[in-house]
Amino acid sequence: MKRWVYALLGVAVLGVAGVLIQRALGEALVYFILPSEYAADPATYEDRRIRLGGIVSPGTVQYDDQKLVLAFDVTDSLQTFPVEHIGTPPELFKENTGVVVEGSFEDGTFKSDNLLVKHTEVYEAPKDGEPIDVEALKESLE
Amino acid sequence: MSSLGTLGNTTLLLALAFSLWGLIGGAVGAIRRDRRLITSARMAASATFLAMTATVAVMEIALLTDDFSVSYVAETSRTTSPIWVKIVTLWAALEGSLLLWGWLLSGYWAVLSWVAPNTPLKPWALTVMAGVQTFFVGVPAIAARPFNSVFPVPLEGPGPNPLLQNHWMMAVHPFLMYLGFVGLTVPFAYAIAALITNRPGTEWMLNTRRWTLIGWGFLTAAIITGGWWSYEVLGWGGYWAWDPVENVSFLPWLTATAFIHSIQVQERRRMLKAWNLLLIILTFTLTLLGTFLTRSGVVSSVHSFGDGPVGPIFLGFFIVAFGLSMGLLAWRWDHVRDRSDLDHPVSREGSFLAGNVLFLAMTFAVLLGTIFPLFVEAATGDKVTVGAPFFDQATLPLWMGILFLMGIGPLLPWRRAPDQTLRGNLLWMALGAVVFGVASFAFGMRAIYPLITMTLVGWNLASLVLLVTGVVVPRLKIGQRGVAQVLRQYAFENKRRFGSMVVHFGVLVMAVGIMGSSAYRVDEQIRIDIGSSAPFQGYILHARDKFMEQTPGRISAGAVVDLERDGQIVTTLRPRTNVFAGQEMTVPTPSVMYRPNYDIYLNVASTVGPEQDFVVLRAVMSPLITWIWIGGIIAALGTAYALVPGVQGARATRDLKRGLEASQT
Repeated sequence: MKRWVYALLGVAVLGVAGVLIQRALGEALVYFILPSEYAADPATYEDRRIRLGGIVSPGTVQYDDQKLVLAFDVTDSLQTFPVEHIGTPPELFKENTGVVVEGSFEDGTFKSDNLLVKHTEVYEAPKDGEPIDVEALKESLE
Repeated sequence: MSSLGTLGNTTLLLALAFSLWGLIGGAVGAIRRDRRLITSARMAASATFLAMTATVAVMEIALLTDDFSVSYVAETSRTTSPIWVKIVTLWAALEGSLLLWGWLLSGYWAVLSWVAPNTPLKPWALTVMAGVQTFFVGVPAIAARPFNSVFPVPLEGPGPNPLLQNHWMMAVHPFLMYLGFVGLTVPFAYAIAALITNRPGTEWMLNTRRWTLIGWGFLTAAIITGGWWSYEVLGWGGYWAWDPVENVSFLPWLTATAFIHSIQVQERRRMLKAWNLLLIILTFTLTLLGTFLTRSGVVSSVHSFGDGPVGPIFLGFFIVAFGLSMGLLAWRWDHVRDRSDLDHPVSREGSFLAGNVLFLAMTFAVLLGTIFPLFVEAATGDKVTVGAPFFDQATLPLWMGILFLMGIGPLLPWRRAPDQTLRGNLLWMALGAVVFGVASFAFGMRAIYPLITMTLVGWNLASLVLLVTGVVVPRLKIGQRGVAQVLRQYAFENKRRFGSMVVHFGVLVMAVGIMGSSAYRVDEQIRIDIGSSAPFQGYILHARDKFMEQTPGRISAGAVVDLERDGQIVTTLRPRTNVFAGQEMTVPTPSVMYRPNYDIYLNVASTVGPEQDFVVLRAVMSPLITWIWIGGIIAALGTAYALVPGVQGARATRDLKRGLEASQT
């Protein structure tokens, strides 16, 4: 008899824990995507924290060292989105380099609070006019 | 051909041969009950230890003499590093840390072979130790070889990972971590021996009680020093980020903590046999799984050493060790399952059991969050990470439950249902809880978890006071002695119990520190022109100057910032970035003003260049964060006190003798 009570209690505790875990996981998953993946399905990533990877477009970098806002465009050569990063440019940040920014989209602009520069060793930036290997780009940024 | 490399390879192979002998000779000897074979296998422990000591010594000589013909030295060391960095470079990368792991393990094995009491478990326990040892010598001897010869011999190496050479804590933290992992191998070995010999009683845990506590104590200290290292080095002003590497050190700690509580239930009530065996098996195998996860690169982490053959090898060993242990447990199932029931849920054992469930639930949640990205990628191809909010949401309610039980558990009697004194105790504890909760609310705290934490701190403090008065007051009545004398005698006679009270008090202090620093932290980026100032949390930060320093091994650039409060300069902080010779990565080096009520933490957010006339600072104020480290020290002292030999040890030996006599009749 007693064993049944404990077994039931155990199942109840596990059930509650399971529900808590499932809810928390659903909210806390941070997807890693490229600009073209976002463009293909923006609704999925609405109001969500995501990590956006890509290449810093040449000629788009603007740094306001008074307000500490770093603005640039990030691209995977199929799609390009403007990024506004609150903070300073990291040491190795420059044009044509791979970056991953963390934050969320607001009115078409990606607001970032975390910027990582990636040494894309495997990946070679294509010359002008050449198509880009999106899969390889993503792999190298991860 | 490098002579040190050859020597190191030779001693490593010798160690492998000795540990293999310990495994094979030990197993055959134990099966045939051949005294001579058992003794010879026992000697293998000391021989392995000597060979591993020689191996580590050879590596240290190679590091200190900059012998770049040895591959590990060529890959991780540098002539210009200071001596202490060269010494700790032994554990700055994978191959060397495996040597350290193997060496410490052989030390434990050798000590165990000499001091362990001669019980029927001993030969098998030593054999299991030998098996684990064979793995930890085999990996560096065969797969991750540190003594390969390099030709042509380079003149200079890159130096160790800059994050590691940037702080002296790196000399301590990994060492403690391995001492913890290795220490918990001993109870695992005895548990397996208990299953093999079909003696799943309390003998194996009484034999290893101190080893368990030593391992747990080192692991606890390692996790706390690791947090302090993150705080001092990583530059974001925090100490725990739920990074996979942190998580996998936390997992065995959770199961080990559950274990040190639940073995008491078996000691007192002969219950939970299978559960205890399962917990120690989980603890040991989780250290292997964790090493696999972080060394193989399957989960990305800021600390991972990158890909290599070692990850899959650890996965293989994890599967073998877990499979064999579970197989043994299943084989002995009829002898390990409990035949007695819990008499009453409101009892000491009931609260320990509930606490165990919470610890295990937390283990599951943290493990799930750590490996969930693997599942998602396998199922959908999406690349995801699990953010810190998940871990906070999943673990905080469980922590609250654990704090609740930590207060009530030690006051409950074994087996009996609640009685009159319990009701009185509960009343006092509820009073403590309410006083702390209301005071915190009046102090201005509104967030729910901080309020619950403070309420539970009050609950626990009342409980500790009751525990102490409960033993002191009756003794005062019967004798003429003063309070201090009675307390001292109680602490002396009940080292384990008193030590546990001290550890629990340390946990409370840490809980307050974690609560304050995570819920009320202020984090800002501030731009200050050199020679000018900016306000931050009641302080005025004067960026007085910038500076550049150069030593042979590194270049530092930073700012000199005076902290002014109420018209007075309180202190001067010098946050900087370091660049080490041979590395291109710049390492932030924050500067911290430590205070009991809050820390002010400054880190340069962008490099201070020669032509730049301003500095960008990341300024963090963390209330009460120092209490995390203080609480950790208190917990460490409590653990050490519980380990002091004394009356307890004598009693354990007596229990053991009695148990042996009982089993022989």
